[in-house]
Amino acid sequence: MAQLDNIIHQPVRLQIMSSLVSLDQNEHVNFTYLRKLLKLTDGNLGAHLSKLEQASYIKIEKTFVARKPQTFISATGKGRDAFAGHVAALKEIVEGSQTQIETNS
Amino acid sequence: MNISQEEAQASLSSVREVTSRTQRAIASAYANPLLILWGMLWIIAYTATHFYLAYAFHIFTTMAVVGGVGTAVIVWSLHSKAPIQEASSPKLGRRITMFWILLCVYIPIWLFLLAPFTGLQCNAFICTATMFAYIVMGLWFDNRFMIILGLALTAATLAGFYILRDIYCLWMAFVGGGALLGTGLYIRLRWR
Repeated sequence: MAQLDNIIHQPVRLQIMSSLVSLDQNEHVNFTYLRKLLKLTDGNLGAHLSKLEQASYIKIEKTFVARKPQTFISATGKGRDAFAGHVAALKEIVEGSQTQIETNS
Repeated sequence: MNISQEEAQASLSSVREVTSRTQRAIASAYANPLLILWGMLWIIAYTATHFYLAYAFHIFTTMAVVGGVGTAVIVWSLHSKAPIQEASSPKLGRRITMFWILLCVYIPIWLFLLAPFTGLQCNAFICTATMFAYIVMGLWFDNRFMIILGLALTAATLAGFYILRDIYCLWMAFVGGGALLGTGLYIRLRWR
């Protein structure tokens, strides 16, 4: 039986992970672009990214593009697995079974 | 902690919505300038062909060259500042580009196999094949607009072919070219 993940379950973090796992495994997204895509503020996105990074669900890389500093974010393998498990658990609930949220923070 | 079926359903809807929005954002970065370019070229070429039928070959050859160079310039310039990156271009964007390149390769193959045909048949075939690709894109991105557009333009092409032969080029300029241009503008305004 799949397990809910209470780090991912938070609505903003669920949106972040949904967006990141839509990318291919070796792709990463620009912080500013992700912020606009999810309609979040810098602070809000930054806080949730920190939480996901602490759980090793995402990787944050700071780099220079055309001499300008940029932050890129990608989902890790662990994050993708956790997200897939969370979505599977949600589907099970919708289909009628009950699932307990895994406490992993 | 338990969550209700309604909450789970809402979370799944959010996942679907964000996934779709992300994929459309990736696609739109490449698709909308190309659709606008080709829509404008389509309108110019068909309108010119209606009035200067004897120069149809030259008109469409010019359109293909300008379109090809324009496409290369757009893809190159977008790649360098893409918000989603890897060692090379985004895979989804690359798959979409590959799909359209393959279509451009297969259409001449099909035409070669189907020959002989009239100019009108050739044109109607290319238009309906392109609209088929629109429908595939619509199914791929779960986008009703592109599916409806593909079906509507297929119907419009068939109407032009069977009913409006005398003004076929003019009809296709504004229906076909207008649809490409309109789709590009729609994506630019709505998918961003």
